[in-house]
Amino acid sequence: MLWSNVKLIFQRETRDQLRDRRTLFTIAVLPLILYPLMGMAMLQVAQFTREHSTRVWMVGTENLPQSPALLVDGQLNPAWLSNENGDLLQIEKPLASDKKFQELLQKAQSDKSMPRDLVNQVISREMKSRGYDLAVFHLTKAEKEAEAAESDDVPKASIVVLHNSANDRSTVGADRISRILKRWRNGIIRDSLHERGLPTALIGGVSIQRENVAPRAKVHAATWSKILPFIVIVWALTGAFYPAIDLCAGEKERGTFETLLSSPAGRNEIAIGKLLTVMSFSIVTSLLNLFSMASTGLYVASKMGSTVGGGLGGLGVPPISSLAWLVLALIPISALFSAIALAAAAFARSSKEGQYYLIPLMMISMPLMMLPMLPGAHLDLGTSLIPVSGLMLLLRGLIEGQYSEVLPYAAPVCMVTFTCCYLAIRWVVRQFNSESVLFRASEKFAIGSWLQQVMRDRNDLPSVGNAFLLGLLVLLLGFFVQLAVGSSIPTTWLDLSKTILIVLVATIGLPAVLMAMFLTRNPMKSLRLNRCTISSACAAVLMAICFHPMVTWFTGFVLYVYPLQGDASGKAEFVSGLVDQAPGLWAVLLLMAVAPAVFEELAFRGFILSGLEGLKKRWQAIIVTSLLFGVAHFAIQQSIITFAIGMILGVIALETRSIFPCMLYHMTHNSISILLPRVDAAIVEGSPVLPWVLHTNDGTIWQYSILPGITMTLFGALLMLWFIKHPSPQDNSELLVSENPTFKPAKAAASK
Amino acid sequence: MIHVRNLVKRYNEISSEGFLALQGISFDAMPGQIFGLLGPNGAGKTTALRILSTVLKPSSGTAIVNGFDVTTNPGDVRRQIGFVSTNTATYDRMTAWELVQFFGKLYQMDPETLQIRMESVFAKFQMNNIRNMLCSKMSTGMKQKVSIARAIIHDPPVLVFDEATSGLDILVAREVLDTIEQLADHGKCIIFSTHIMSEVSRLCDRIAVMNRGKILAEGTLESLADAHQENDLEEIFYQLISRSELHENKFSQQGLEVL
Repeated sequence: MLWSNVKLIFQRETRDQLRDRRTLFTIAVLPLILYPLMGMAMLQVAQFTREHSTRVWMVGTENLPQSPALLVDGQLNPAWLSNENGDLLQIEKPLASDKKFQELLQKAQSDKSMPRDLVNQVISREMKSRGYDLAVFHLTKAEKEAEAAESDDVPKASIVVLHNSANDRSTVGADRISRILKRWRNGIIRDSLHERGLPTALIGGVSIQRENVAPRAKVHAATWSKILPFIVIVWALTGAFYPAIDLCAGEKERGTFETLLSSPAGRNEIAIGKLLTVMSFSIVTSLLNLFSMASTGLYVASKMGSTVGGGLGGLGVPPISSLAWLVLALIPISALFSAIALAAAAFARSSKEGQYYLIPLMMISMPLMMLPMLPGAHLDLGTSLIPVSGLMLLLRGLIEGQYSEVLPYAAPVCMVTFTCCYLAIRWVVRQFNSESVLFRASEKFAIGSWLQQVMRDRNDLPSVGNAFLLGLLVLLLGFFVQLAVGSSIPTTWLDLSKTILIVLVATIGLPAVLMAMFLTRNPMKSLRLNRCTISSACAAVLMAICFHPMVTWFTGFVLYVYPLQGDASGKAEFVSGLVDQAPGLWAVLLLMAVAPAVFEELAFRGFILSGLEGLKKRWQAIIVTSLLFGVAHFAIQQSIITFAIGMILGVIALETRSIFPCMLYHMTHNSISILLPRVDAAIVEGSPVLPWVLHTNDGTIWQYSILPGITMTLFGALLMLWFIKHPSPQDNSELLVSENPTFKPAKAAASK
Repeated sequence: MIHVRNLVKRYNEISSEGFLALQGISFDAMPGQIFGLLGPNGAGKTTALRILSTVLKPSSGTAIVNGFDVTTNPGDVRRQIGFVSTNTATYDRMTAWELVQFFGKLYQMDPETLQIRMESVFAKFQMNNIRNMLCSKMSTGMKQKVSIARAIIHDPPVLVFDEATSGLDILVAREVLDTIEQLADHGKCIIFSTHIMSEVSRLCDRIAVMNRGKILAEGTLESLADAHQENDLEEIFYQLISRSELHENKFSQQGLEVL
């Protein structure tokens, strides 16, 4: 690769972008004007809220205790105002001339049976019709109340502050008047205690004080640590978005892409040159936003601090070290987003199409960015392995100065981030070397003609598109069925059986069989229902047994990294309880080992893997199938474990060209997982092999011993090698149906 | 100078539904010669020329450009070639001078040589008045001049023009054709594709008529006229394409549309 060419392309693209008004506006002008404009708007709003007073309607206040007085000359007694601005509360009383309301009030005061809600409604209606923001009303005569409450020796007066929470002015006014009323109430109690010769300190009772021991700098850092990583990362993605579209799809649209491709610059040089440009714009956009937002935020905070009770005053100046950490993290995160955006944009033929590809990217990234903002989110081994989220949590910890807590996870975060970067950059380079991407023909899509074409041009085996379609269908159907089934939790074994079977048949097995029948010419071959040798079937069973310790340990590791949360853990225990109600072990094995093995293998290693074999490399087909297999299990812990098992099953399927060894492996694996917790100590002790393989600490939970477990894993690896070294020949893959026309796959698999 | 043998190009190779754009074409072009590729839309001309300029890779067969194989030495081939096509537009946000200079630098020309060469090319194409004009402000003719200047800035021995006069008015088209003639006179090997018969008759020393990814006939204008007992190139072209379409058993549906 000639770096001089990369530099030339980078310089050209950068200059080109700087001359594009739209890009410049989004990257530079928008961040510089957006926040100041927002800040100005906030100040205007703050000014507006500060200067507007609230009209308070005081109803029945003449009946309130007069010593100490709440009102003096019709206005609030300054003794209760403390630091409140009395001018902001315009106190008004019902006019004596308002006969209609006075009558209504009279009736309400005299009629004790009138329900409180109805009184509220009447006052509320009158308050609204008269244009008041809130009403303070007291209906019962104080003297009568005092009599009623004589036994308690405490004067009782019920005051209602009627406000409208949909109206900010009303809410703010209600808060103000409530604080004043509270001080007045304390005044009454103080006087009462004083009259009885009791210490007035009783009013407070037990005093509770909160003291913040965090240094001011740490408080600032904690506030910034929640805001800054999010701003930086969101704008790093947004900043990559438009240049990526313009540099790929835009160039294709303008017809300059081929000009560049015919120049002496190699594809890799073009890809890297463009990537550096997108990355630079991503970094600059992020930094400009950071600068603009921080400076505007500080200015607005300083202006508003006094009036908003110091809520924004907690921002302060961001620590310099936080900015250094942000800049450091910005480089890999911009590289990652730029590479993904550029690679996705390379597919597009026009800027408009580019936006279609990049919007989903943004929607996928958003949850990863929002995850660290959740209140309970913290950096641990599990979260450190999540791309973007891990980095954000690490940044948060570094900004807060919690070095000892977060630095142990810096290595996994860096590993994940740099691996993602590397893969994304490789993807970009591949995209630029792929003719099918760069010279994609324009195609008009019409569902009718597409279906016609699909039916007419179908091949023996499914296409890559067919495979993805089934994968997507399984995921969608699974999601909706789980949603529907989730609302009615099975309470009996029978319900559980029905639920599992419905999910397996309706969302996995049936779509696979139907798609094989209608979208391919050879459904049996598409579902990989090919004959397999006895040796490969036995090897598959043996391999499942041998790999089981490794899978169990891996499951333990996954559950350590991503522990089951309360709900999922409770659900697992609940299902386990239902399983104990099964009529026999055979029923459990049939439902949880045989049925999943048959239906899942038909869909994943059958139809989907057959279709994905159309990809250039076999390992790509195995990885993508395993990914779909993993995601179809929804819960992240299960997804990771099933992905790993899917990789083993993928190898078996490709090497044997038959689905049956896969079904046998799957069935054996699930059976062992079901039997292991239920195995009786007498059986283990009576067996010649099991006491060597298994051990228990408490007599109930059986675990694999280390040395036998490793030995079994190594033997499993040898079996895997055997599968790879002895693939089934192509011509051996005759269909079972040709030998036995009455063959039915599900039954055949179940009977094994 | 250019030797093409059994060149095959299949699009969408991953899928079994691939499309054969070139079905084993072979031809040779020599220095100082203008070789014309003539064919209807979709004949495979652009695909063949994209392979020669290494924008696309051949599925099989060989193409040697000035001694370098397009598959094994694509970088060297690109240094031997200047490529102008309807798909090689100019950068709107660059001036004519910047654009030509950018490509000169990509060809690793040293700054002094590049400066001299640019002055000479801009003078030759009378482009000094537009040297600081952004390409977005230029007319189609001006843009085409800039494209040609960009393609010849490194003085390549081979030039490929794919429908270079498409969309140009008659005056600019004539100017472009004059330029191509002059370049051939200077010993350049030129591949010129078009579907305009008059341009072929005027410029080309040798002609290959293509349809459906195959070369139907190849030779000088005279040899083709002798072989078909017909002096009118348009008539020869019509006969060849009609026969080819009949052979493909599709003439009745598509033959006239193709023309």
